Amino acid sequence: MDAAHIRNFSIIAHIDHGKTTLSDRLLHITGTIATRDMEDQLLDAMDLERERGITIKAHPVTMLYKAKNGETYELNLIDTPGHVDFAYEVSRSLSACEGALLVIDAAQGVEAQTVANYHLASKQNLLIIPVINKIDLPHANVTLAKQQLEDVLAVPSEWAIPCSAKEGIGIVDILEAIVERVPPPKPTGEPSLQALAFDSYFDTYKGVVTHIRVFNGEIRPGMMVKLLHSGKSYEVKEVGSFNPKPYTREKLETGETGYITANIKSPSDVKMGDTITDARNPSAELPGFKEIHPMVFSGIYPINTADYEALKSSMGKLKLNDSAFAYSSETSVALGFGFRCGFLGLLHLEIVQERLRREYNMDIIATYPSVVYKIHLTDGTMKEVDNPAFMPEVTYIERIEEPMVKTFVICPNENIGDMMALIAEKRGQVDHTETLDARRVMLSALVPLNEILIDFHDRIKSITRGFGSMDYEPSGYADSDMVKLDMLVNGEPMDAFSCIVHRSKAEGRGRALAEKLKEVIPRQQFAVKIQAAIGGKIVASETVSAFRKDVTAKCYGGDISRKRKLLEKQKEGKKRMKSIGSVNIPQEAFIEVLKA
Amino acid sequence: MSSTTASVRSLYVHVPFCAHKCEYCAFYSEASSGELINRYVGALERELELVAGTLRPQTIFFGGGTPSILNLKQWHQLLHTMDRLNLLGAAEWTVECNPATVSLDKAKLLRDFGVNRISMGVQSLDERLLERLGRIHSREQVFKSFDTLRAAGFENINVDLMFAIPTQTMEIWHATLNEAFALQSEHLSCYEVIYEQDTPLFAQLKAGEFDVDEDLAYDMYETLIDRCEQSGFFHYEVANFARRAGAGRAAPRPVLSDPEIPDFACRHNVNYWRGGDYHGLGPSATAYIGGLRTRNWSNTPLYCEQLEKGKRPFETREELPPLQRAGEIAAFGLRMTAGWPFEEFQKASGFDLRSEWAGQMSELVNKGWAEESPVRFRLNRQGLRFADSAAEMFLR
Ligand SMILES: Nc1nc2c(ncn2[C@@H]2O[C@H](COP(=O)(O)OP(=O)(O)OP(=O)(O)O)[C@@H](O)[C@H]2O)c(=O)[nH]1
Ligand code: SF4
Ligand SMILES: [Mg+2]
Repeated sequence: MDAAHIRNFSIIAHIDHGKTTLSDRLLHITGTIATRDMEDQLLDAMDLERERGITIKAHPVTMLYKAKNGETYELNLIDTPGHVDFAYEVSRSLSACEGALLVIDAAQGVEAQTVANYHLASKQNLLIIPVINKIDLPHANVTLAKQQLEDVLAVPSEWAIPCSAKEGIGIVDILEAIVERVPPPKPTGEPSLQALAFDSYFDTYKGVVTHIRVFNGEIRPGMMVKLLHSGKSYEVKEVGSFNPKPYTREKLETGETGYITANIKSPSDVKMGDTITDARNPSAELPGFKEIHPMVFSGIYPINTADYEALKSSMGKLKLNDSAFAYSSETSVALGFGFRCGFLGLLHLEIVQERLRREYNMDIIATYPSVVYKIHLTDGTMKEVDNPAFMPEVTYIERIEEPMVKTFVICPNENIGDMMALIAEKRGQVDHTETLDARRVMLSALVPLNEILIDFHDRIKSITRGFGSMDYEPSGYADSDMVKLDMLVNGEPMDAFSCIVHRSKAEGRGRALAEKLKEVIPRQQFAVKIQAAIGGKIVASETVSAFRKDVTAKCYGGDISRKRKLLEKQKEGKKRMKSIGSVNIPQEAFIEVLKA
Repeated sequence: MSSTTASVRSLYVHVPFCAHKCEYCAFYSEASSGELINRYVGALERELELVAGTLRPQTIFFGGGTPSILNLKQWHQLLHTMDRLNLLGAAEWTVECNPATVSLDKAKLLRDFGVNRISMGVQSLDERLLERLGRIHSREQVFKSFDTLRAAGFENINVDLMFAIPTQTMEIWHATLNEAFALQSEHLSCYEVIYEQDTPLFAQLKAGEFDVDEDLAYDMYETLIDRCEQSGFFHYEVANFARRAGAGRAAPRPVLSDPEIPDFACRHNVNYWRGGDYHGLGPSATAYIGGLRTRNWSNTPLYCEQLEKGKRPFETREELPPLQRAGEIAAFGLRMTAGWPFEEFQKASGFDLRSEWAGQMSELVNKGWAEESPVRFRLNRQGLRFADSAAEMFLR
């Protein structure tokens, strides 16, 4: 398709404002999907997405649309996730586009991620088309939404298109606006192919399938291409687009989005943001993506030690499809060989674990999440620590800084008091309050990231009965009275449970952990002391009393087989136990506590 | 192994009926219905016929369930069949009785046909606890039926007791032991309450209706052992105590080959712990012959149906490789205070305990749990408390 007839756009919004529903509608009306194949949230194809009703991955689709002017256009749509943990999916998708539909729920108005995503798109100079969705709802308030567009985002309200993705109202207006307002892609003027790799996944037969946006030139099967970052060259095997299933095409030209395969078997060869160019006549590198830094870290271990290699290869493949996920090997006394993994947030952590379990059949356990602390040592050096195991001795520590985030909370007026109290509980400081409209305010506050991770979002939702929303962005580091909390069994530390916490919360957490451990550590032939310690000082202690006998039951002929099997199972279980301070602790005990 | 199958010397018969299901009980048994019992007796006769050719019983044990629940007519029928099949005359023949279902007629009938040992399911002599456990008999019935049995000529009687029953105190336990000793039975079986899955007692525990006081249970067990020894009972297995011959009691014949086992020990059970063969008849019964363990259906109608078709009613079969089998034999034999005479073990398993399990033996000796002499290896009092942990070490 000639570039003048191509439009590339993403659909962005706050979570649940109807992006995926609108995408479905567009697919339907353009005939990309036949009526009989329609199902709700069709693009949320992953089981996890369907179960949770949220989009996790950006989904690209190519549609053909015959506009009112009689011309046919190729519309490349990317549906994006709304949750803040998947913001990297959004920003990468935006880099493949010239425009964005900014969806606003008419009953909710502008919310925290509406603001955040709007800024992402406008920073990339995309043309933004505001879409006010769900106008069918009885409490929809289009006027108010328009007002907020002007007040909060400074977007002229006459740009907005009212619609109902559910009822199919206003859909054609949106398509026409895309054709009219979104600029067609322009060649970069370079001598040859320039394509941006913005997503990928692993296919057992085809190897790495790379999603690309062609910025210049064209790409077709048989062509030798070079990945500028990795420096490797490959012969293109297959070129295609999504409808939303992959289908092959003869070629992809300037301005088009789609995918290529090149029999790439090693997932690490393809880096997101890399430029793909003609191997014989290379063009310059495209800007690519800003390196993303994980904010939350946790250890992920195979439950079965023998699965380490399988887990490693699964992580490699998963990372192809989730470039915000980072991992490297680590070991734990309690859990054996595993990986230190980085995530953008807790939901991201949860989703990665679930995907490893479901898509790769891995049996895994994750340790308590941690953020990255800056530890200033007495010798004047600084060390970044995201794993409590590497926290230096207290005597060498001059001070500790913890990462802070700037949080934006939008909530109804009547919840301000509770919200302030929550922020205070989370050791945050409100620095700004702004009236959004007659009913709502936006609070901005500086809060330690560590506190946001736990249940901040859920608490906001429950305080505001669902009407509150929040977003956050990194905001440097601040000195903080952080301590390392160690859990000991008979004096030996159990590394999997160590964590870095604020002094004011250390004791409570130590006590809770000690109680939980007491429940799960089996009795031994001697008493087992479980302690929580902060820098050598014991703050909580529990004892698992010794058992003094393990048998008094009768056992006759009919019981022997069952009893033997029971003992065999116990014996097998003991093999998998970790011995810490001569205390045998089954792996399941660790897992149970880590899960809680 | 057909040579050994020709002469299995132990027989267990399971009677899967009870007047009422006890709160703690996970045995296969159900409240009886007259017709089913008749059908069962018929099926059991078929089963006896099927195994009679390979059976010369030296020990017989009728367990349950409640064997004494069979009425006189049913017992008649069964005993005559056994006579016809040439299965009478065992040196030790035990029938389990519930104190509520013992009558002099029944007791005499059993005695006449050669039953010479009765095992009485007493469990407690505290009225309130009996009720707590869902037992159908009273304390009075225990004393009465004990006298009845003695009157019928039984000179070898076992009393079954339980301890660590929810709400049972140490005082109650002492009182029960006092009265049990006063009965002057030849044998005592005492075990801690077990919370078996799918029993009402287990459900009550899970529902938090009571707590398990493990320290109290431990003290009760220690008390039991001390007091039994003071009262002339020899502790010969984790949960079993028996008298020696003398003081007016003649040793049952033939005399046991291992002098470390008291004369009135239950020979039938000793055979289990020492890895011997036995036939097991009746629903849910287990048999172990030539290394093959089979288990009958735990379903009385299905059991009957199979036999009515002339089939053995096996639900499962298990045959372990030789070393694994020997490990199992070693493990369970250690439950007896006599432990394993090396020669005896070699005969039962085909393996030498001293070469195959030398490491485990010395580990246990070093731990202070066991002792080894030139002729045998056994757990001591401390080791016996951890007989399961010890057993585990011997499994292969
Ligand atoms: N009444 C009404 N409901 C709608 C409309 N559009 C979407 N919804 C509903 O809003 C909910 C969220 O819709 P989605 O399309 O999954 O929202 P999303 O923005 O893709 O959500 P994330 O991908 O998780 O950020 C679903 O229950 C939809 O049925 C609409 O026009 N009217
Ligand atoms: S009498 Fe014995 S077999 Fe019957 S229910 Fe009670 S404990 Fe179980
Ligand atoms: Mg969605």
